[in-house]
Amino acid sequence: MAEICCEVLKEGENSVLSSSCESTSSRVARRRRMEIRRFKYVAGVSGSTDNDDDGGGGDSEIIDGTKRQRMEVDNTSSFPRECTRDVENCVSDKRVREIISAAAASSDGSDEKDNNKCNGHVDKKNKSSLQTTSICQSLPSVLDIEIFSNVPKFGVASVCGRRRDMEDAVSVHPSFFRSSENSVAYESHYFAVYDGHGCSHVAMRCRERLHELVKEELLLGVTEWKMAMEKSFDKMDKEVIEWNEGVVNNCRCELQTPECDAVGSTAVVAIVTPQNIVVANCGDSRAVLCRNGQPFPLSSDHKPDRPDELKRIQEAGGRVIYWDGPRVLGVLAMSRAIGDYYLKPYVSCEPEVTITNRSAEDDCLIIASDGLWDVVSNDTACGVARMCLRGKVPPATLTPEVEQITSVGEGMADKACSDASMLLTKLALARRSTDNVSVVVIDLRKDT
Amino acid sequence: MSTSSNRVSDRHVPETVPGSFAGFFETWLHEQGRDLEAMKDAARAHAKTAESTRSLSKLVGRVIAHYEKYYRVKSDSAEHDVLGMLNPAWRSNLEDAFFWVGGWRPSTAFHLLYSVSGSQFEDHFSTLMMSGPRTGDLGDLSPSQLSKVNDLQQETVKEERELTELMASHQETVADSSMVQLSHIATELTRDDQRSSVSVDPQSVNEQVESTIESKEEKLKEILRKADDLRMRTLKKVVQILSPIQAVHFLTAAAQLHLRVHEWGMNKDRCCHAVAYSQ
Repeated sequence: MAEICCEVLKEGENSVLSSSCESTSSRVARRRRMEIRRFKYVAGVSGSTDNDDDGGGGDSEIIDGTKRQRMEVDNTSSFPRECTRDVENCVSDKRVREIISAAAASSDGSDEKDNNKCNGHVDKKNKSSLQTTSICQSLPSVLDIEIFSNVPKFGVASVCGRRRDMEDAVSVHPSFFRSSENSVAYESHYFAVYDGHGCSHVAMRCRERLHELVKEELLLGVTEWKMAMEKSFDKMDKEVIEWNEGVVNNCRCELQTPECDAVGSTAVVAIVTPQNIVVANCGDSRAVLCRNGQPFPLSSDHKPDRPDELKRIQEAGGRVIYWDGPRVLGVLAMSRAIGDYYLKPYVSCEPEVTITNRSAEDDCLIIASDGLWDVVSNDTACGVARMCLRGKVPPATLTPEVEQITSVGEGMADKACSDASMLLTKLALARRSTDNVSVVVIDLRKDT
Repeated sequence: MSTSSNRVSDRHVPETVPGSFAGFFETWLHEQGRDLEAMKDAARAHAKTAESTRSLSKLVGRVIAHYEKYYRVKSDSAEHDVLGMLNPAWRSNLEDAFFWVGGWRPSTAFHLLYSVSGSQFEDHFSTLMMSGPRTGDLGDLSPSQLSKVNDLQQETVKEERELTELMASHQETVADSSMVQLSHIATELTRDDQRSSVSVDPQSVNEQVESTIESKEEKLKEILRKADDLRMRTLKKVVQILSPIQAVHFLTAAAQLHLRVHEWGMNKDRCCHAVAYSQ
């Protein structure tokens, strides 16, 4: 897995529930690379956007403008919802508390920049709470301010399973983007699963970059989700191609052409806002909404034999050949992906985007790679996740109390959601899934 | 086994020479069968008390020590006959086909774990969702255990790959310059003196052949040692992640699989043998 983006924070071998199939030494090497990139990012795009965000200076008018336009769409600003519980979760975590108090002590709104995209949600969340401070000066304490961060509870599980290589990557960025209106901030939260093929490097690159690209689009003032997602997926695709040249990597294919052209990744991205769930999908990973106990798929798998996809491929001059299932040119078993140069334009990187209004009946959102969906139906997955969130599963069968989930997002990961994602992962392994399995469960209930 | 210069004939040592590794292996298998019974009984009788758990831990310790004994004797035998250990005559063709560097592939430990925990998990899945009791077996693998297993799996696969590469590089040296040159000289020596293009002392050629092959064997010993070390380490680390009762379930599954695959392979070899001779 990949280190749901908080690897740098983590110490100790068990901290990552995940695995890029790399050993300690290569992990160290990667950490080094990340640190190098960290500096790159200070000067780079993400650093400066964060500055804009933080400072609330001239550029932030653009942000506000963007948001205003978008917020006009629906003014039903149900606010705090699950915040109270969220505070409990965070505060119960010693580490988060320490970070919050340390940052509060040192900060007058000019907190440290989020100059490392990999430093995890703990910092990020903390930062967002502090940003809120500067906006809502009247709020008396850090804990009250936390209420505004409004982060849904989530859990992540990601394992190599019966494969020899880990090619899945998971990306979780609570509060990755903030818009505001009348001094009230609305936060969007980013969750994604990338399932790589050929090698892991495209999936890893998506994990590092795609949320940044989406954020850039939003900052640039793109007001339509569909447009923003399509543009960022397209940019991601181009970046992967450019990046192939000139970056030293220790992945299996060692970025050597022509193997490198045959590498790609699915991407299923879910952006949760107070009003909507935006899902952009490219490939055969899937997002399923569990509403009132019923499964509602928010994405449709891009398989080469899907009639409209088959038509698109054939019109572009490509062919779908059955070779252990339908495959584009007899090679790739999905019709859209990021990367996979050699199969363009038959394999497209254009995502399908759905926007779903949130409802009081929503239970949770499950996003997962086909390692889960190949062996667990949408219906079963919803049933399992819902039962975990409702606490119907006897606690003894889940995480023993003594065990803290140290895996993903550290204190940010919610226990019930983690149990749900883990139980689904175990179910997939039990049902002989032969693939990597990655599952993210996001609690959408408003009354918790 | 003998280390005389006549290696070719020594390779075909009768399988049950007393003191040979083959003989040790027969005894060891017998002991493993005994351990298997003990583990099955213990798992059935497990009372979830502290005392019961302690006795399970003891049993697990004994089983692990039994594996350690196996690798100790194997390593001693490899000192004398690494080629025999890499191509074990006491194993069936079926086992041989699934072997990696003279033994089981370390990463199969994780597949074994996933298979056995998966079937136990599925057994309890329906009751589990209906607030059934905690089973304590491998279906109950906790998130942190699964996370540790996942990390260990990836480290193991990586080490396994490195050793595979090491073996590949070494196997390629079978055609290195010295081997090729020696094969040429030795061939010339077998031809008529008149037609021979080389004039060397046969004795010194034999010595050279011996020392060259010996150096190859030394490297093979090193690789086998590393492979066996990885096998033993993987087994121990998996067991460390598990609770005593889970470890008993895991080691039971490992012993069952080992004993039965050996048995099936041996039966198959006998059948093939019979068919070959009857034709």
